[in-house]
Amino acid sequence: MAIEKQAKPMTGHYNMAVVKAFFIATFCLLMTWAAGAANFTASLDRDSIQLGETVTLSLTFQGGQPRNVPRPDVPGLQIVNAGNSSSFSFDNGQMSSSVVVSYSIAPQQAGDFTIPALTAEIGGQQFTTQPMKLKVSKPGAPSSAQINSGSELAFMRLIVPEKTVYPGQVISVQAQVFFRDDVQNMQGFQFTALPADGFTVGKMVSGGRQQAQIGNRNYTVFPISLALTVLKPGTLTVGPVSASVMLITGGQNFGFMGLVGGEQRQVALTADPITIQSLPLPTQNVPPSFNGAVGDYTMTFSAGPTNLAVGDPITMRVQISGHGTLDSLTLPNQAGWNDFKTFSPTSKFQANDGLEDQGTKTFEQIVTPQNASVHELPAFAFSYFNPEDGTYHTLTQPATPLTVSAVAATPLPTIATPKQPAAENQTPQDIVPIRENLGALARAGTPWITRPAFLALQAVPVLAFFSALVWRKRTDNLANNPRLRRQRAVEQLIAGGLADLNQFASENKSNEFFATLFRLLQEQLGERLDCPAFSITEADADNRLISLGATPETLNSLRELFQACNQARYAPVQTPQELSAIAQKFKKVVGELQNLKT
Amino acid sequence: MKRLLFILSAVLICATTLLASDATANFSSANQLYDEGKFSQAAKSYETMLNAGVVSPNLLFNTGNAEIKSGNLGRAIAAYRRAELLAPRDVDVRANLNFARNQVQGGAFSGSHWDAMLGALTLNEWTVLAAMAFWLTFGLFAAMQIRPALKNILQGPARGLAVLTVLLCLCLGVAANTHFSKQIAVVVSPDAVTRSGPFSDAQNAFAVHDGAELAVLDRRNNWVQVADNSGRSGWIQDGQVEVLPAI
Repeated sequence: MAIEKQAKPMTGHYNMAVVKAFFIATFCLLMTWAAGAANFTASLDRDSIQLGETVTLSLTFQGGQPRNVPRPDVPGLQIVNAGNSSSFSFDNGQMSSSVVVSYSIAPQQAGDFTIPALTAEIGGQQFTTQPMKLKVSKPGAPSSAQINSGSELAFMRLIVPEKTVYPGQVISVQAQVFFRDDVQNMQGFQFTALPADGFTVGKMVSGGRQQAQIGNRNYTVFPISLALTVLKPGTLTVGPVSASVMLITGGQNFGFMGLVGGEQRQVALTADPITIQSLPLPTQNVPPSFNGAVGDYTMTFSAGPTNLAVGDPITMRVQISGHGTLDSLTLPNQAGWNDFKTFSPTSKFQANDGLEDQGTKTFEQIVTPQNASVHELPAFAFSYFNPEDGTYHTLTQPATPLTVSAVAATPLPTIATPKQPAAENQTPQDIVPIRENLGALARAGTPWITRPAFLALQAVPVLAFFSALVWRKRTDNLANNPRLRRQRAVEQLIAGGLADLNQFASENKSNEFFATLFRLLQEQLGERLDCPAFSITEADADNRLISLGATPETLNSLRELFQACNQARYAPVQTPQELSAIAQKFKKVVGELQNLKT
Repeated sequence: MKRLLFILSAVLICATTLLASDATANFSSANQLYDEGKFSQAAKSYETMLNAGVVSPNLLFNTGNAEIKSGNLGRAIAAYRRAELLAPRDVDVRANLNFARNQVQGGAFSGSHWDAMLGALTLNEWTVLAAMAFWLTFGLFAAMQIRPALKNILQGPARGLAVLTVLLCLCLGVAANTHFSKQIAVVVSPDAVTRSGPFSDAQNAFAVHDGAELAVLDRRNNWVQVADNSGRSGWIQDGQVEVLPAI
C-alpha cells in the first residue's frame, strides 16, 4: 500500500511535465511560425501586354489570414476578382500557410500604367508592397517573317478582293483567323475593333475551317466573311481589325472527359488596315431610270389583267435577281404613266447566301388605268451600274398591250407573261375579288365555353343520367325484394283505403266501413308480420307485435279496432262521427305499425 | 307588363332591321369605292363599319382586299386573319391570306400543325360539337338505364361516343387554351423595329417588315413583347401591331 501511495504522485508529476513540455513546444513553434512566416507580396504574371489581352495580378498573404484585402483601382484598367486560393505546407518541420487573391486586369487603352503600393494587415502587422508597372501597347499585326517563322500562336489576316470600288457597291471582306497546331481549343472569339469608315457593315458569316501550312507549322484557318457597302467616293480604309480570343495550350486530352489542364491565354489579334479606292459613279450616259442600283442584275416582268375596265387594278410583278444591295433596292419611277394611278409597291427579298448580297427581290405594284383611251402599259425600265465593267446597263420590258373598257365590269384576270411561261404551282397573281353581300353578321361576345349559363346547361345530361341510374337501382331493388314490394303495395292500399274509410264514414255506410277497416288491418298486420293477411288472429298479432317492439298503447288501440269490427257484425249501425273517429284511430295505429322495425 | 314587353320587342326588332339595312347600304357604298379603284377610301369605309360594331366575315374579307390594294399589307393580313377566325373554312379568305403572306418580306409565316388543325373550326363550333357528343353520350347511357332491353344495342355506340366525347373535349380544351393564352401580333407599320426592352431608347433588337406575324410573349404598358419564327424576341410599340387571337 505504501508503494502504491508513493507511485501515484510520481506518475501524476511525470504526466504533468509531459503536457507542460508539449504546450511550451507548441507555443514556441507557433511563435516561430507567427514571427517568421507573415508576409504580403503582389505580382503580375506579365508586365507588358497588348491591348485586348489580360494580365493577372496575384496578391499573396503568407503566415495568416489578411484582415483586409486591398483592391487596386487604376483608371484605364478594368480590374475584376478572378478567385481566391489557400494552401498549407510543412517544410523541414515548419508549417507555412498562404492565401492568394487573384485579379484579372483588362486594359481599356494603351499606355503605361502603375499599380500603386498595396497595404494589408496580417496578424496585427502592416505590410506594404512595391508599386508595379504595366506597359500596354497597341496591338500590331505580326510581320511576315514572324508568321513564317511559326512563332505566332495565332494571327489574323484581312482579305479584300476589290481594290477599286464604287459607291453603292457591296463587297465581301474576309478576315482569316489562323491558329497554330498546338492550340488545343479556343473560346470567346470576338472582334474588338472593326473600323470601316465610309462603309456600311452588313451581315457576317463564318465559313468552314481549313488547314494551311505556313513555314514549318500547320495552322487551322477560320474564315469570317463580312458584307460591306461602299457609302462614298474617295480613299477608304478597312481596319485595322482587332479581335481577342482565349487560347488553350498544353492540356491533356482524356477522350470522353475532354481537355484537362493546360494553359489558358487571352490573345489579341490584329490585321493591318487595307486601303480601297472608291471611284465616283460616272456622270455621263446615266440612264433616266437609274435610281442608284449598283451591282449585276437580271429582270423578269409580268402584269395582269390586260383586259379590264377603267379603274380596275393591274398587278405588275417585277423580279430583280443578281448581286448587289438587293435589300435596299427600290423600283425606279417610270415615265409615261400619267394615265395610270400608281400605288406604293410591296416587295419581298429572298437571299441566296448568308451575306444577303445575292438573291432575288420581287416587287408587286398596283396600277389602275384612269381612262378608256389607255391601250398599253408603258415600257418598264430598270437601270443599274455594273462595277465589273464600269458602265450603266438598262433592262427594258416592252409595253404591254391593254384593253380598257369604260364599263365597270371586271373580266376574269389574264396574266401577261411575255418572257417566261407560267410555272406550275406559281404564286397566284391577284387576290380573290371582294364580296358583294355583307353576309351573316357575326355576334360579338364571349365564347360560349366561358358563359356560366352554357356551362350550367351541361349539367342536365349528367343529372338525367344519374336520375335514370337511381331509378333503375330502385326498380331493381324492388323487383328483387318481395317484402319491400309488399310493403309498398300495402302502403298504397292503406293510402287508398283511408280515403275509402273517410268516404264511408261520411256516407254512414257502416258495413262497408268496417269490412274495409278489417281488411286493411289484416293487410297491414300481414305485411308487418310477414305472413298471409287472412291468417292473422288477434292473439297471434299481439305476441308477435310485442316482439317487434310495439307499445302497449298501440296494441290496445289495435285490439279496440278489432273489437269494433267484431261488434259491427252484430250492431252495425253507428253514427258518422263514430266512424270518423275510428278511421282516425286506424290511421294512427297504422302509422305506428309502419314505424316498427321488421 | 305584357304591353311594355311587346313595345320593347318591337323597338328592338326595328332597330336591328334599321341597323342591318344601314350596314348593307354602307357596305355597298364601300364596295363601289373599291370598284372605282379608290382602295384607301374603301378601306376607311369598311373600317368605319367595323368600328361601329358591324362584324361579318365578308366585311373583314373586303377590308383585307382594300388594304392590300392600298399597299397596307399588315392591315390586310390582320383583316384576313380576323375573317378567318369567324369563317375558318372560307377558301377565299385563306387564298387571299396566303397571297398577302407571300408579299411579306423576311420569311413566310409558319404556324403549328396543331393550330392549323384546331383552327379549322371556331371555338364556338368546337364547343357545340363537344357539347353535342357529351349530351348524346349521357343520353344513351340514361336510355340504357331506363330501357335495359336496349342495352345490347346501345352499348357499343355509347362507348364509341364516350371516346369521341373525350377526344372532342380534349380538342376543345386545347383550342380554348390557345384562344385565350396565345396571341399573334401582325405588324401594320412599314418601318417597325423591335427593341431589346419596353422603352423607346432601348437598343434595336431586330427589324420586322409590314405584315410579319409574330408570337406575343408579354405586354407591358403600350409595348408588346414578340418573337419571330427563329426565336428572336423583342419589344414593339402596340401601335405598330394588331394583336389577334392565334385561333
